[in-house]
Amino acid sequence: MTNRDNTLDWFMLVLRRDLTLSFRRSATYITPLIFFLIVVTFFPLALGPSQSLLSSLAAGIIWISALLSSLLAVEGIFSEDYRDGTLDQYFVSSEPVFILIFAKVLCHWLVCGAPIILASILSSIFLYLPSGALFALIISLLLGTLFMSLLGALGAALALGKSAILSAIIVLPFSIPTLLMGTAIMSAAVNQQDYSGFLSIMGAMLAVGIPGLCLLTVEAILLNYE
Amino acid sequence: MGSPPHFYKWATRSLPWLAGLAVIVFCVGLTWGIGFSPTDYKQGDVYRIIYIHVPSAILAESIYIFMAISGFISMVWRAKIAGMLINSAAPIGAGFTLVALLTGSIWGKPTWGTWWVWDARLTSTLILFFLYAAIIGLHSSIENKTKGDRAVAILAVLGVVIVPIIKKSVDWWQTLHQPSTFTLTSSPSMPPEMYLPLLVCVLGFYFLFIFMLTNSLRGEIISRERDKSWVKKQFFKY
Repeated sequence: MTNRDNTLDWFMLVLRRDLTLSFRRSATYITPLIFFLIVVTFFPLALGPSQSLLSSLAAGIIWISALLSSLLAVEGIFSEDYRDGTLDQYFVSSEPVFILIFAKVLCHWLVCGAPIILASILSSIFLYLPSGALFALIISLLLGTLFMSLLGALGAALALGKSAILSAIIVLPFSIPTLLMGTAIMSAAVNQQDYSGFLSIMGAMLAVGIPGLCLLTVEAILLNYE
Repeated sequence: MGSPPHFYKWATRSLPWLAGLAVIVFCVGLTWGIGFSPTDYKQGDVYRIIYIHVPSAILAESIYIFMAISGFISMVWRAKIAGMLINSAAPIGAGFTLVALLTGSIWGKPTWGTWWVWDARLTSTLILFFLYAAIIGLHSSIENKTKGDRAVAILAVLGVVIVPIIKKSVDWWQTLHQPSTFTLTSSPSMPPEMYLPLLVCVLGFYFLFIFMLTNSLRGEIISRERDKSWVKKQFFKY
């Protein structure tokens, strides 16, 4: 192995390892995708197939479904690495751990978030989302699912080895600002108003959230080593 | 101050004083507010519920901020007492949040004509209740209490992001709820005969909270340190 003394190299190494692992096991990216589509399908079944009703609810439905499925998917992000000792190696390495954790979260977002965003395009047809709002949907979900992955990773770290519902209860109240911003972007886009302000707030939340949440996640994982 | 035995001694000594202070201020505020303040010309006597509603809503937010500060202290300095404080304050805060929601709902029925509206203020208070519930739930799921304290500290610190949004939300998406009763920058929009008893009530609720917190912290210290010699000396004189 070559001599790695650059943190970025380690970041890429962890990212590449996790990506390889995820692609070897198709369940990691297919399960959240299918879950998302099933939840989206449930809404027309429950609310009736009225086109005008679904069209006005579409943005909210897609957002809630994306939120739930990215949250459920991230739940097991650390459990395997914790069990086989990979996480121990992160902590004894000389690199800043939160950067390695961020690589894991980023990998999760690439593997689970991206398929969900693709599926949201399909769902926007299912739910008659006004076509002008499609770009806003993609861009808001792009930022929103990354934030959800970060939050979900913290929940997963806090509830490591406990039930999935606990980590959902912990994380869901904290995801409300993201949901509000996302739906604010969508309703502005549907009404053909400028939504760049909301998008900036979401970007700012992400800019604070990436280092902040990764640091808190490291803190939460460390609790399991005492 | 930081060590549990010292804190326990201090808490035991100050508890009766705190209880007395809380009862006196609380009773004065409530009797003044409910019995002697003028009737509102529009709402009639219904408005008097604010003497419970507003203080508990203020407490609901203050206790959360208090928990976040203790969480930060326990994360940075690993102070034992700070960790226990979050754990003792969370159920009290959840209680005050519930009282604020219930009294608001009781007041809303005759005044707004509905028990509940999805107003920003109401919604964010409900979210605050969920945050308290998440903290209580996480703590109770962790066997090791010291570990639980630190896990909860992380959540409390994260939740500080939510409290400013609650505060700001009134200005952002105001629908039905009136603006905050008290602000630091301007005088309240009600006459002094109405807001002075309200201020006394707020003070009384704060004392009540301090009393309840000290009381439950005492119990928490004893139950955590039950194997230590100073606790045994305190209770079993042999």
